[in-house]
Amino acid sequence: MIDPKQIAENLINGQAPKVKELVEQALKDGLTPGQILKEGLIEGMNVVGTRFKANEFYIPEVLVAARAMHAGMDILKPLLAKSGDKPTVKFMIGTVKGDLHDIGKNLVGMMMEGAGFEVIDVGIDVSPEKFVEAVKEKKPHVVGMSALLTTTMPSIKTSIEALKSAGVRDKTKILIGGAPITENFAQEVGADGYAPDAASAVDKARELLQQR
Amino acid sequence: MPTKETMTPRERWLAVLQRKKPDRLPMDYWATTEVTEMLMKHCRCPDELSLFKKLNIDKSFKVSPEYVGPELTAGVDEFGCQYKKADYGSGVYDECLTHPLSQYQTVDEIKKNYSWPKADWWDCSMLSEQIKGQEDYPIQGGGSEPFMRYKDLRGGEQAFIDLIENPEVAHYCLTQLYALAYEKTVRIYESIPGKILLGYVAEDMGAQSGLMFSPKQIKEFFIPHMKKMIDFIHQNKAFVFHHNDGAIRAIIPAMIEAGIDVLNPIQWRCSGMDRAGLKKDFGGQLIFHGGVDNQHTLPFATIEEVKQEVLDNIKILGQNGGYILAPCHNIQPNTPPENIVAMYETGYQYG
Repeated sequence: MIDPKQIAENLINGQAPKVKELVEQALKDGLTPGQILKEGLIEGMNVVGTRFKANEFYIPEVLVAARAMHAGMDILKPLLAKSGDKPTVKFMIGTVKGDLHDIGKNLVGMMMEGAGFEVIDVGIDVSPEKFVEAVKEKKPHVVGMSALLTTTMPSIKTSIEALKSAGVRDKTKILIGGAPITENFAQEVGADGYAPDAASAVDKARELLQQR
Repeated sequence: MPTKETMTPRERWLAVLQRKKPDRLPMDYWATTEVTEMLMKHCRCPDELSLFKKLNIDKSFKVSPEYVGPELTAGVDEFGCQYKKADYGSGVYDECLTHPLSQYQTVDEIKKNYSWPKADWWDCSMLSEQIKGQEDYPIQGGGSEPFMRYKDLRGGEQAFIDLIENPEVAHYCLTQLYALAYEKTVRIYESIPGKILLGYVAEDMGAQSGLMFSPKQIKEFFIPHMKKMIDFIHQNKAFVFHHNDGAIRAIIPAMIEAGIDVLNPIQWRCSGMDRAGLKKDFGGQLIFHGGVDNQHTLPFATIEEVKQEVLDNIKILGQNGGYILAPCHNIQPNTPPENIVAMYETGYQYG
């Protein structure tokens, strides 16, 4: 009988093939997809996030662990959908207009997925209009906006304003991040929150969701 | 206000590098081309040199060998990377679109399918001409910053993942990149012996709150190669300028051990990078270069706040010398020119 802890452990160590194998085995053993997700993958990514915040894990370790998470998730996703056990939280993320940086954005997306959220990645260089369109269509609970440059920070503001004008600003929580972003800036532009790193973004998103 | 300048910018830098007393604080300049154009207009200067003279900037001059290798397709560089101009409204920067080594899993595959640029593709014979008129300025030449290139070759995430999952490929490629940088550096120094003051040995290792790589990875993949370059630069009586953004305190002792002389850019708002702590722990071994925050202060603060930051830097980082004032990385086009002028005027007046 596979113990979900083994899955978590292999995920933490970035062993994608092993995670895939264990998830398949666990399903055969009769564990539910929901249990494998929660006690295996989410638990593992939780540890990865904690170690990342503590400077025990660095970007290579996080990326390799996220890859292992995806190896397991690819198997579980269709099963979770079928069982009606779909993620209850939708998180949308994109890098704002003029900014093509994506490693930070992707790390946040991975951590959110690892927290059990459904992640909708709208990509890089996302215009305010595109954010509006995507929010209207997908109705995310939280929208993450990223900017690495001081020169693209204003695009966060224009994106939030566009959501306001379109009348959908209050239908979602907005979380922002990126190298030059601060809590002050988040307040100034009317975001709901700011996170300094990918692992903290998960904590912040959970906090914002509780405020709903 | 300094009474009379008795040193050229080069002499001023050299004094700081040799731990002697300069006539005043040296000040360097890093900015995007859009900013330089805006600043020239603002200060009514017809060219860069007059701008630097007007603001008392001791700008270092970087020599660039001429590319004479195989003809390149427009938008594609000598490594086969394709770039596009990314427009962020107030300016543009180059972003790599294609990653020529992303499809390979093994060293053998890369060896079979990819040819690396050769040092022969650059001509250094014009460098003595290039530095004419720059005799009074500190000249920078040679050095390395290979992980940035490695990310373009492999794709950003894959490059990081390689350090764990495919270390052979990472070692092989980084060895090639460092070797190319080394060979080009040797040729630069041979072509203008004794003229170069600074070699640029860089690597971006930091994020806002910590290192992007583990110290173990840095020591395995980067430092041995950097050490070779550092030793060469020192043999040529030049100084090693080490650029390393972000929160990098944890790796500073290892970089000192490798032999760096100057640390740039001192992003003091990042975790662990507080100026007094750095000065206290490393001030005896390092010259600090930079220190004027470019994420908050220069673009967004008031003139008064800019002045205060320059004064703080002079007091803290410049205590008993060992400091060259500069922005933390390229000044961006959303920066008010008044803030830039205030930075240099304050540095000139109080440094």
